Amino acid sequence: MSVLLEKHIVELLQERNEKAISLLYEHYGDTLFGVAYKVVKDHDLAQDIVQESFVKIWKKSDSYDSSKAKLFTWLFRITRNTAIDKLRSVNTKTDKEIQMDVSDVYRIGVESTRPELMDVREHLDKLESKYQIVLDALFFQGMTQQEASDELEIPLGTIKSRLKIGLRELKKIYGSSMVLLSLISIWS
Amino acid sequence: MKDKIKIFLDSDLLEKYLIGSTTKEETLQVERYIAMHPEVREMYLELQENLEAYAKLHAIKTPDGLKEKILSTIKAQNSLRKRFTRYAVAASVAVFIFAGSSYFFWDQNQNLMQENTIVSNKIKTLEEDMREQLEDVRNQFIVLNNPLTKKYNVKGNKNARDLKAIAYINPVKKLSYLNLRNLPELPEDKCFQMWAEVNGEMVNLGVIKEITDKEKLLALPYAENAIGYITIEQKGGNMAPTVENIVANINY
Repeated sequence: MSVLLEKHIVELLQERNEKAISLLYEHYGDTLFGVAYKVVKDHDLAQDIVQESFVKIWKKSDSYDSSKAKLFTWLFRITRNTAIDKLRSVNTKTDKEIQMDVSDVYRIGVESTRPELMDVREHLDKLESKYQIVLDALFFQGMTQQEASDELEIPLGTIKSRLKIGLRELKKIYGSSMVLLSLISIWS
Repeated sequence: MKDKIKIFLDSDLLEKYLIGSTTKEETLQVERYIAMHPEVREMYLELQENLEAYAKLHAIKTPDGLKEKILSTIKAQNSLRKRFTRYAVAASVAVFIFAGSSYFFWDQNQNLMQENTIVSNKIKTLEEDMREQLEDVRNQFIVLNNPLTKKYNVKGNKNARDLKAIAYINPVKKLSYLNLRNLPELPEDKCFQMWAEVNGEMVNLGVIKEITDKEKLLALPYAENAIGYITIEQKGGNMAPTVENIVANINY
């Protein structure tokens, strides 16, 4: 997203102008939906989470501090935390049901990927799964490197090096796809 | 210092902070590091960019209608909030009016209570006065009507020749009254004062003011063989009579 547009949205948020939410949804809706889905692995639940998150974003709009985090980081935190809370409450209620849903819904999620994002997804596929696992653990599961090492049964040193390489690869990927991403922003 | 930063960066705290899973204390610690150390700040910025890029790679098209659902929820909440604000304002105004009127009534009640006390005190004083006056009038009536009442003409001595008074003494009813008929003119700084010697003690009966009512009877304390005196004293009266200034005496 262009710095100017981001600034404009932040201003609208602080003015409590509903247009801010509309713009945020247009530019970050899909990404935040992906984040929610990544955490809960359930299409319907992810939808609820996005809705709840946007309401929270609206309610907390005057608490956003651009000196502390980029706009996306702030949106990500709200969405991810909402997703984790949802997951906890659902897990305590119907543990098994969700487990069953996961495999069914995952497919829908992939199918409903925006065609214009397919290239990005291809890029993602370029990122070897061993790096993706570590990046997922870091960004979405919120594990510490030590926890990831324990969870994935990979030595801590390997986690560290995979993270480093993964991030470098990622930079290469989005370095080339940034143009595409900004184009998407203009289209939407 | 470098070690400290390295330990911090190795601790994963920055990553945890990035995704918003730090505790309050950790958040403060991380924000302090970001503010103080440029290399941490740089790392944080890079992590934010990586996060955004990585998250974008996982974007999934949102279901149709979700946007409208979100916007209508927010609109509903806004109108609710506006309505709440209106109610809050109305409630505040109501509370203010209530408080104001409560104070007004309380104040009024307080004033009325004060007035009530004053009025009831006045009534009490009036009652006492009336009883006294009635008693006095009754006694006067007894004195004047009773055949056993003796009437003495009192005249002033050479210092007050024009002083004329009539004393009514009734030894049976033990009442004595004095009717001042005339008082001579006195210099500005002098006045007449009445005394009575009762059982060997001098009783001050007060300063005699101008005679406003010639029919008025002044009560004298009664005792057997009491003597009443009228003296000329300094204006305002004296604590003890000045013997050489006695202008009249009444034996009764």
